[in-house]
Amino acid sequence: MWDAAGSALIALFDPFRMLMLFVGMFAGGIIGMLPGLGGIGALSILLPFALKLDPFSGLAMLLGATGIVYTSDTIAAILFGTPTSASSGPTAIEGFAMARRGEAGRALGGAFLASMIGGLVGAVVLTLSIPIAGPLVLALGSAELLMLAIVGLAYASGLVGNSPAKGILSASLGLFLGTVGVAPSAPELRYTFDFPYLLDGFALTIVALGLFGVAEVIVMLGQGGAIAQEKFKLSGWMEGVRDVGRNWKVISMGSFIGVIFGIIPAIGATASTWIAYGQATATAKDKSMVGKGDPRGMLAAEGANNATITTDLVPTLLFAVPGGPAAAVFLGALFVYGYFPGPRFVAQNLDLMFLIVWSSALSAIIGAAICFAASPWIAKLTRIDFGLVAAPLIAVILLGSFEAKKTVIDFTTLLGFGVLGWLMKRAQWPRAPFLVGFVLTDPIERNFWLAYQLHGWSWLKGPIVMGLIAVIVIHIAITFRRAWIVRKEIAAAAPVTPSPATTASSPIFGPGLLLSVAALVIFGLGIYLALDFAPDSRLVPLLAAIPGLLVTLTVLIQYLRGQLPALNWPPFAEARQIAFLAVAIFAIPFTGFFPVLGVYLVVLLWTCTSLRYWSLPYAALVTAAIYGLSRAFNIPLP
Amino acid sequence: MKQTPNRRDLLAYGAAASVAATLGPVRYARAADFYAGKTIDVIVPFAAGGAADVTTRFVAPFLTKHIPGNPNFNITNLGGGGSILGANQFEKQGKNDGLTILSTTSSSAFPYMLKQKGVDYDLSNKRIAYALAIGPVVYAAPDTGIASPADLKKPKTGLVYGGIGATASDLPVLLAFELLGLDVKTVLGFQGRGPIRLAFERGETNFDFQFTSVYLTQVKPQAEAKKAIPLFTGGASNAQGKFTERDPVVNDLPSTYEVYKMLFNKEPSGPVWGAYEASAALTFEYGVTGWMPAGTPQEALDAFSAAAAKVNSDLDFITKGKQVTGGYKLQDGKAIEKNVKSALAASPEVAEYLRKFLVEKYNVKL
Repeated sequence: MWDAAGSALIALFDPFRMLMLFVGMFAGGIIGMLPGLGGIGALSILLPFALKLDPFSGLAMLLGATGIVYTSDTIAAILFGTPTSASSGPTAIEGFAMARRGEAGRALGGAFLASMIGGLVGAVVLTLSIPIAGPLVLALGSAELLMLAIVGLAYASGLVGNSPAKGILSASLGLFLGTVGVAPSAPELRYTFDFPYLLDGFALTIVALGLFGVAEVIVMLGQGGAIAQEKFKLSGWMEGVRDVGRNWKVISMGSFIGVIFGIIPAIGATASTWIAYGQATATAKDKSMVGKGDPRGMLAAEGANNATITTDLVPTLLFAVPGGPAAAVFLGALFVYGYFPGPRFVAQNLDLMFLIVWSSALSAIIGAAICFAASPWIAKLTRIDFGLVAAPLIAVILLGSFEAKKTVIDFTTLLGFGVLGWLMKRAQWPRAPFLVGFVLTDPIERNFWLAYQLHGWSWLKGPIVMGLIAVIVIHIAITFRRAWIVRKEIAAAAPVTPSPATTASSPIFGPGLLLSVAALVIFGLGIYLALDFAPDSRLVPLLAAIPGLLVTLTVLIQYLRGQLPALNWPPFAEARQIAFLAVAIFAIPFTGFFPVLGVYLVVLLWTCTSLRYWSLPYAALVTAAIYGLSRAFNIPLP
Repeated sequence: MKQTPNRRDLLAYGAAASVAATLGPVRYARAADFYAGKTIDVIVPFAAGGAADVTTRFVAPFLTKHIPGNPNFNITNLGGGGSILGANQFEKQGKNDGLTILSTTSSSAFPYMLKQKGVDYDLSNKRIAYALAIGPVVYAAPDTGIASPADLKKPKTGLVYGGIGATASDLPVLLAFELLGLDVKTVLGFQGRGPIRLAFERGETNFDFQFTSVYLTQVKPQAEAKKAIPLFTGGASNAQGKFTERDPVVNDLPSTYEVYKMLFNKEPSGPVWGAYEASAALTFEYGVTGWMPAGTPQEALDAFSAAAAKVNSDLDFITKGKQVTGGYKLQDGKAIEKNVKSALAASPEVAEYLRKFLVEKYNVKL
């Protein structure tokens, strides 16, 4: 085995192949910073070129591109709070909050170093596990996949922040909205209202871009100024390195979670990063900073996603079962080269197997190292007037959202989730549990029904299933015990009930009240409509909506009694930006995308920057660049 | 190697064309004229990486090479709604200028046949540019005690089959089970045929089918190790469009038709056979079909038709095709159009049977 590993390394260090690896990395690095495209975007662009090369060079190019995507998406997440892939969501929460504090350098340095470690761990584990990965994949059936998804959901409850009720409400809402579309294991359409767009539910890219990307951009445009609100700290870079040193346990655990979720087909990087994030924040002793720029969760997530992309190839290579859409394209490329991944593939092509491991790992590690070295310079971008960054950013977000289903309704959906995310941010409802619930709906529902159809209730008896149940029970017990201790401490420190100061300062009719009324309507309608569904497509929507409804009621009562501050309405400057975006989006079907984009950007720049007449050429430049991008990526904008 | 005639020839052909527009060589010249320097937009109504996408992307460069005038192909993935969204888009935007193609599978044809909600496209008036088969091979686990198709009626253990959905590519296989009177427990809801194969290897299911390319590369090695018993294929149609022939690639295994004749000693007939024939033709024989809008110029269709034979004798297509598609030939749209349309326009009894089968047995809401 080690001979093959060595000869693969020598084969890869052939100058031409190295060059191809770097070409792939360059393309992947750029694409990672654009929303909605991700690994699959990188592969579809490079595939025609790669297939003209010899297999080793071509595969090096493709893997170079996919290996770096999850590293370069960190840049947009930290600097602009925009997760260009749903798996960079945790980084967009914590890293961006750090950047706002003026600690972009610290966040970038730490994130890239953690990425590098994750890539290394992934490569080492992949190498060592080649002989045992086969049995491992076969040991995980639908029942085990179901339990892993539930573990993820349980850890997501650790993301609840200051108010557990709001966290559970947010998770239920995500879980419930994830059930829109064709039921995974019953021939039934749910909540589509005969609207073809909703046949397969909301697209994850749009949900993530709306909840985080649009919402953050709107808030910052409303506030004006630069991303870094506080004095920019140049020394941050080394602080990031120290963060990594302090949190090596969290990063190792994150990488381990990433490895496991990479090996399992069909769960993928999005779930793995959120679960690593949830695990890191749930086990943190001091939770006061979670969601407000706590590096721990971000570091775990960055370690996890780079470990996942490397090990994602295990099911692809061992069983020809792609771990995700990008892996499916990669599998197609292997076929064209004349390799048939499968049980025999590893034994017969050990050198190629190692070449794949090394290419992927080198791309992840070198990519992170380059970004790490460049992070002090990248961090300086946070000092720029945000309006200047926002114009191209929102244009690219619109372009990325259109990648989902390629109809104008994509823009409307983006606006809807953008407004939701913006209100949630303003009402201090955590958005992370929403996204975790949304991502995990399908694996939970699909695997529950598969396990139940295949084994009845005896699926609960498997040893791995029992072990995972124990993990969940212990986790919940620890969470409750900790919450109890905290409550006792608070009670001891301040025996007075809710501080009247916060209650008095915010009105009852705030965004919080509006959101809980909306949630009440959604859950109520959901339950009412679900009564008509067949039993096997009713269960999961009800499991999400009934607890969701009950928690919403309690939250609503707390708001009405003034026990929970409903917070202030967002300032006019933010509402105005939402209105501009809405008008632009509704105008697109009538006038086409590019004229609208041009005018909208001028308005945005005019209202949020000091460019004045310079807004015109700048908006024209951005529009032209977006036009170029849409041509290069073959995106048929209206 | 370019086959574009020079300008002088073209002028000569053009003059001749005005005199005798139906002559063979003249049509060829007009076809060359037709696609020279043009780009054909292909809509694949699935996300990248699926069977329709891989097959279309594999075939496109060979069509560029062999269609007179060497048009480029610009392939766009418009996934969503199990192909319905992309097909609707094609219906709305496709012009009859010979420059738009919808390259799709039975995932678009079944909702149309079953008149499902949300279908805005009409396949009956479309023209057919090409088709490529995707054949199925049914196999069982050794512990079922099934060693050959003759044992199908008396398995030692209950048969458990994993599928994606009753209206997906599982439909003809479920109809084959019905036709053969097999007692099979079907577990639907898997994400794809890959995870289903893993469930088979894990022993969670013991009765499965995979498409030919996967069968040849993944299941056959398993069969050689005595971990899987290949049983039968979906078959292929004869000159009259009856589904009585063996699969042209996996021709060492009997077809569904043969297994029925062996088990029941008679010809299959009635609505269940009709439903099987129609769904098998659309899913397997015309697995990935290139549809063009109604009113597409005949020159365009002729150009594709002329290219099919040349693609099939292209050595590169033959060797790579074995790996990508299993080695099926590119079918000439002109030759198969009648059969595709007749499969699509099922007789009232067959349509009623299919409706009842899906509604009553699989709780599909139609």
